[in-house]
Formats: sequence, C-alpha cells, structure tokens
Amino acid sequence: MQALGRAVNQIEETLIAAILGLMTVITFANVIARQVFADNILWALEATVFLFAWLVLLGVSYCVKITAHLGVDVVVSAVNPRVRRVLTLISVVCCLAFSLLLLVGGWNYWWKFATTASFLEVNDIPMPDFLQFLADSMNEGEAYEKIPRFIPYFVLPLSMALLTFRFLQAAWRVLQGRQEMLIASHEAEELIEEASAQGAAGREG
Amino acid sequence: MEAFLLFLLVIVLLLIGVPIAVALGLSSVAFLLAYSDASLASIAQTLFAAFDGHYTLLAIPFFILASAFMSTGGVAQRIIRFAIACVGHFQGGLAIAGVFACMLFAALSGSSPATVVAIGTIVIAGMRQVGYTKEFAAGVICNAGTLGILIPPSIVMVVYAAAVDVSVGRMFLAGVIPGLLAGLMLMIGIYIAAKIKHLPAQPWAGFKEIFQSARDASWGLFLIVIILGGIYGGVFTPTEAAAVAAVYAFFIANFVYRDMGPFSREGSGRNLVMIPWLALTTLWHPDTRKTLLEAGKLTIMLMFIIANALILKHVLTEEQIPQSIAAAMLDAGFGPVMFLVIVNVILLIGGQFMEPSGLIVIVAPLVFPIAIELGIDPIHLGIIMVVNMEIGMITPPVGLNLFVTSGVAQMPMMSVVRAALPWLGILFIFLIMVTYIPELSTLIPNALMGPEIITR
Repeated sequence: MQALGRAVNQIEETLIAAILGLMTVITFANVIARQVFADNILWALEATVFLFAWLVLLGVSYCVKITAHLGVDVVVSAVNPRVRRVLTLISVVCCLAFSLLLLVGGWNYWWKFATTASFLEVNDIPMPDFLQFLADSMNEGEAYEKIPRFIPYFVLPLSMALLTFRFLQAAWRVLQGRQEMLIASHEAEELIEEASAQGAAGREG
Repeated sequence: MEAFLLFLLVIVLLLIGVPIAVALGLSSVAFLLAYSDASLASIAQTLFAAFDGHYTLLAIPFFILASAFMSTGGVAQRIIRFAIACVGHFQGGLAIAGVFACMLFAALSGSSPATVVAIGTIVIAGMRQVGYTKEFAAGVICNAGTLGILIPPSIVMVVYAAAVDVSVGRMFLAGVIPGLLAGLMLMIGIYIAAKIKHLPAQPWAGFKEIFQSARDASWGLFLIVIILGGIYGGVFTPTEAAAVAAVYAFFIANFVYRDMGPFSREGSGRNLVMIPWLALTTLWHPDTRKTLLEAGKLTIMLMFIIANALILKHVLTEEQIPQSIAAAMLDAGFGPVMFLVIVNVILLIGGQFMEPSGLIVIVAPLVFPIAIELGIDPIHLGIIMVVNMEIGMITPPVGLNLFVTSGVAQMPMMSVVRAALPWLGILFIFLIMVTYIPELSTLIPNALMGPEIITR
C-alpha cells in the first residue's frame, strides 16, 4: 500500500514537472522558429494552452493531497479543537459538493464531444498516427486530420473524479483525527523552509 | 439582493476554512443553479475557458518558473552585494541597500513573498549583525518586498490585464515610475529615521567594487531587459517573453552561476569530454525537476483560484451586476474622486482576507465599467489596484508578506505587524499620490505606446 502511494506520488510530481517543462519548451521553440528561421509552429499556442489546462486541473487533486491550497485560517485556528473539527468537516462536505457538481458537469460536457459531436476537431494540432485508431470507433472510420476535441476535454471529468477522490481521503483523515484543516495555514512556511535549506547548502558549499 | 447573498456565501465559506478556490467556485455554481437555467456542463465549459479563453494568463506559469530558477540563493546574494556597494555608505545604508535589493529582485520576480524570502533571509541577518534591531530590519524588508508586484514583471498585473482586457505591456510600463517612486520614498524614510536614531553606515566600497558586483549581478538583471525589451521591441508577446525569461533563467542558474544542477558540485566539469553530457543531464537533473515541481505547484494553486474567480466573474457579468452597481453609483452622484476613495476602501478591506490575484479577478470587472464612465484611465485603475494589493499584503489578518517575514526573521506575527506599521504610513501616502496623480502611471505607457484607446 505504501509502495503504491510512493509510486503514485512519483507519477504526480513527475507529470507536473514534465508538463510545465514541455509548455516552456514548446513556447520557446516557437519564438526561435519565428525569429531565427522565419517559420511558425502552427500548433504551438493551442498545444501549450491545452497542456496548461491539464497541468492545473490534474494538479489540483495533488495539491489537496499535500494540503497546499490557500485559505483563510483566522477563525479556524482561533477556535477550540472540537469546533475546528466540526467546521473542517462542514468544509469537506462543501468541497465534495463542489467537486461532484463539476464532475457531473465535466462528464456531461465531455460526453457531448465523445458521442454526438465526436467529429469536432481542435483548430491547429495535427492528429498523430498512433492515435488514428480512434477514428474507427469514434468517427465511423474517417481519419482525423486534427486531434478530436474529446481528447483535450477529457481532463475535465478525469480531474474532477481525482479531486473528488482526494477530498474523500481528506474527509476520512479528518474523521480519524489525522488532519485538522483543509487549507495550508500558509505557503510561507514551505518557502521559508526551502530558503533556509538553500542558505545552509550555500554556506556549506 | 441575490448578489449580496452570493458574496455572503463566499465569505462564510472562506471563514469556515474552505479553500479560496472552492469557496469562489461553489458559491458561483450554487448561484447559477438557483437563479439561472445554466447547465452544469456550461459551468465546466467556463472552467476550461479560464485556460483556452485567456491567452494572457498563460504568462503566469512562465513568470513563476523564471522566478523559481532565479530564486536560488546565488542570485539574491549577488544583487545584495551590488546594492550594498552602491548605497551602503549612507547612514542606515544596509537598510537602504535592502530596499534597493528588493527593487532589483522585484524586476526578476513577479511576486512579493518570493522577494521577501530571497532578500530577507540574507539582509535581515546581516542588518542584525551590524547593530540594527530585529524590528527595524523586519519592518523595512516586509514593506520593500511588496514592490515585487509593482515593479514589472508582475503576476498581479498579468491577472488584471486578463480580467479587463488591457495590454500587459502597458501595465508593465505603467508600473515603472510608481515602483521607483515607492522605493525612493522608503529609502528617504529610512535615511531620515537613520539620522534620528544614529544608525550605522557601511564603509564606502569604492567604484571597483561597484563595477565588479554589477558585472557579477548583471547576468541575472539582464532578465528584465529581455522581458521589457522583448515586449516593447515587438520581438515577442508577453507570454513568449515570460517563456524566454524562464529558459534564460534556467541557463543562468545552471551554467553561469552554477547554483544548481550537475555543475554546482566542486570539481564537476573538469573532464572536458564529459561537459556536453553533463550539460544535457541538466534537463532531467533532480534540481531541475524540483524547481519545475515547485513552480508547477504555485501555478496550480494560483490558477485554480483564478479559474474559479473567473466563474464568479462570469456569474456577475451574466447577471449584469457591474452595470447595476455602476448605475447606482452614478445616480448617487459620485465623481471620480469619491469613486476612487470607494475603490480603495473596498480593495483595502478585501485585500486583508483574499489572495490578491483572486480579488483582482472579482473586483476589477465590478469597478471597471464605472471607471470608464467616469473617464478614469484603465491602466491608472490597474496600478491603483496593484498598490492596494501591496498594502493588503502587509496588513493583518491575511497579509502574505507578514507571514513570510515572521518566518524569515523568526519573530511572532504581532511583532512583525508592529514593526511594519511605521513604514506602512509611507505606502499609504504613496497610495494617495498614485490615486490622484494619474500621470505617474500613464506617462511612460502613453509616451512609448501612444494614448490608450478606450472602446465602450
């Protein structure tokens, strides 16, 4: 179980780093193509935008796992532990309501593009050959020129399902008394830890 | 009335400890389900549109990444060395140098807390060693750090530009004079305090030291030249400028300053054959991955708040709430002066509870139509908002800079609040100046890019 948790964590962190790196490289390559080779990577902007959406939406559940989301902790940290527990449980229920509503919305939105509107393509990104098999089942055998829209939009139901799962986990931890709040008291703490770690490393080196 | 319920719901959710993003999103969804016939699918579409409908916001992850590569200890140290060489010999010199260093670092980073951490960790310790009190040091850096969002590049300015559709380039240019002015005012304030309190001065380091430290720091400081020069030279868009800045910062951190990556260890890179291979490994080196992950996490948190604030903005515009507020205010006979006072009060109160970017996304569309009616320049309005956000960062209960400073200086929150208070007065005077002298903000952008054309 722990090994699985570590593996999932590795996947999540690598994915976040890789997507952000890829966005940067694509955008940079487009600048180079235009300024140096007087050319243009037509699909660069659209691909970066979709990667951006995937980065943030998929990352949201990871940030719930590590309790990194910002919030107002004035009231919650001032009240006694029992009241805090009740307030946090109410918050978890609100968060679950949010993620479930958007899961339904995301699914409905995606379902339209996966069924009746599966022929709709994005504007610029060409369809890679290894995905062309999708055309058989989704587009009555007619090859896609560009990526069909249901591919980028799939992140909506996927990310909201993951978010619901992470909120359920958080709710379980709160019920067991292993977690006190849903929000990071502040991103500051981590920043400082890092800075002092860097400072220490700097002195050693 | 319904709008009032909406805001009440947001506030209640925030206070019971719901994350900011979820509080904004859930309130909007509940409102849409109760008062309109919007489908859940259309709300999901609005969420996705935060990314594929606002190309401007795409600059945010890249600015965060550039700042993350630049936040490695070495860059801050080099900037501080240069700042001390320049202004350290004045009375109260180390404090003045601290402000100067914050201004320089603000030109590399678009965020205030990052500026406080990078500069504060080194300068506050240094100031205490030569005899400043902890309170004085913390108060100065806490305030000077807020310049991070006023001096371009600035994430908050990108968010404002995206929320009301003005040019990011104009906003960046508009921040230059106010940024320099605020820094100068803080420095003068410190100089006067230093004369009264007889604070120490550093020895004059000589022009050689200034020259050498400038050369050493220039690799980092060249970043701002790339960003501003690139945008105004028409070489690239603000988003591309940010991506180029991120790649540049990556190269500087790995290959020039060698603060991270395979070349950061002693003795690495001696073997000439290995150098190309080592250079290639920077791409997947653990340090690179870690920096990308940190920047990614910050992007995710910030953009999730902004995306949900955009859903709320969608609700507000759908319900014509900005227009009805505008009509009510114009009927009440408010002129530009009174209107700006109200905007400042709303932002100051809101800024104490909300994350700056989220607040701007919500408030900007509310006040923007009124400002246009009253003939206030949109760029000027943006700078007023940014300065308000600066003040929000150093006022309790939710002042991001206060938290960071209390950690960096290892002081309790309340002492930091007291320490920051005298300097807060300077920022208030500065806010009044920025509010009622529009030329401070509009002079440079209008001179370089021509007058703003406002389409109603």
